Amino acid sequence: MKVQPGIDVELQDGETVLEGLYRHGYAYRTGCRRGGCGICKVDLVEGTVRYPTAVSPDVLGDDELASGTCLSCRAVPDDAVTIALRQEELRRNPWFAFADAAKARSAPPPWRAGGQPTPARVRGDDDR
Amino acid sequence: MSVMRLGYVHARVTDLAEAKRHYGNTMGLYPMHEQPGQVYYKAWDEYDHHSLVLEEGGVGLVKLGYKVSDPADIDVYEKRAQRFGCLVERMSAGDNLEVGDGIRIVLPSDHVVELYHDMTLVGTEVGTHNPDVFPRHLVGVGAPRIDHALITAEDPGLIDRFFREVLDFYAAERVATSLDDDAQIIGSWLSTSNTPHDIAVIGGPNGKLHHFAFELTDWSEIKRAGGLFAMDDVPVDVGPTQHGITRGETIYYFDPSGNRNEVFSGGYTTFPDRPTVTWTVDQLAKGIFYISRELNERFTTVLT
Repeated sequence: MKVQPGIDVELQDGETVLEGLYRHGYAYRTGCRRGGCGICKVDLVEGTVRYPTAVSPDVLGDDELASGTCLSCRAVPDDAVTIALRQEELRRNPWFAFADAAKARSAPPPWRAGGQPTPARVRGDDDR
Repeated sequence: MSVMRLGYVHARVTDLAEAKRHYGNTMGLYPMHEQPGQVYYKAWDEYDHHSLVLEEGGVGLVKLGYKVSDPADIDVYEKRAQRFGCLVERMSAGDNLEVGDGIRIVLPSDHVVELYHDMTLVGTEVGTHNPDVFPRHLVGVGAPRIDHALITAEDPGLIDRFFREVLDFYAAERVATSLDDDAQIIGSWLSTSNTPHDIAVIGGPNGKLHHFAFELTDWSEIKRAGGLFAMDDVPVDVGPTQHGITRGETIYYFDPSGNRNEVFSGGYTTFPDRPTVTWTVDQLAKGIFYISRELNERFTTVLT
């Protein structure tokens, strides 16, 4: 799933747009996260989504659906989709960003690089 | 003569099966009756037939039912509500399942409040003969009682006046624009019992629900409810924390349709002659969330 202008995240099967973004450490203004308030609406720019859970027509009307509004806490992408936030900026959790940076700059530690499992601690290992 | 308590909340849910999982399995309410598109629940320490009606289709509040202590109260409140300028209609026994006749009042804020005197008595889950202190097989949170609702209104001062002048409630606490006599009321916590609120109203769009709440016995029960919300993936809005207003302990969370619920414990014991507490708007955040003194945007904007 792409989020304009330049974020790309991998979603799992059956995951909603919002769940997927949360899982990757992204956030924006949301409300109830259960389809009742409409605060997390975004624009669906490309692709199609489905709503496995019933959504109230008061929250997401047919005209909105037709014009590309996507209720992100309930919308599950059918395939690759592109969305755009409305008057909102996608925020990245700094700890996720830190983890990304750490992954990018370091080679895997030697005990992992060789495919050796981390030695398991067994009870009594640390006799004192 | 008086209104005794909030008797029932009638709310809309988008998906009845999911709602049943939440209110039945997570909250531990007892299903009392089911018909196509509707389910009726009561909490374990309630003795009338039901306190929560869920109706499939949409979100938000259909109506609130308040139980009066004497059948003759209905006539008095009917006249007063009409004089106040509200649309009032009579309802017959059976219009609401297991509920006797009464009146239906449309508030100036478009909320519907029903007054009734009779609902079929079914008894608490522990009975009245040498009762145990709680039922042996409670499910989930196991809330004993529904407690109050918070609604929003364009003119909260008018709704404050309605509940006081028409229904004999008293204002336990208010949020006001200043401490002067001509201050505007921004929010009001109104009681008709010994708990600090049986209804609360805060400024916002007419006809909307902010939340309805279940009473729990104490702070440790609130924490336990939080654990169950984690297990059942219930989205939490705020808490656990404590209110300045009412002094109650709380978690706010959402049902599967996005209606906000609260588990509420504690709160002081109050009486009609207790002087009304006033909070000024600059201290609103402390009044609502005493410990963090911060109002999150979701808490103030999400309504159903």
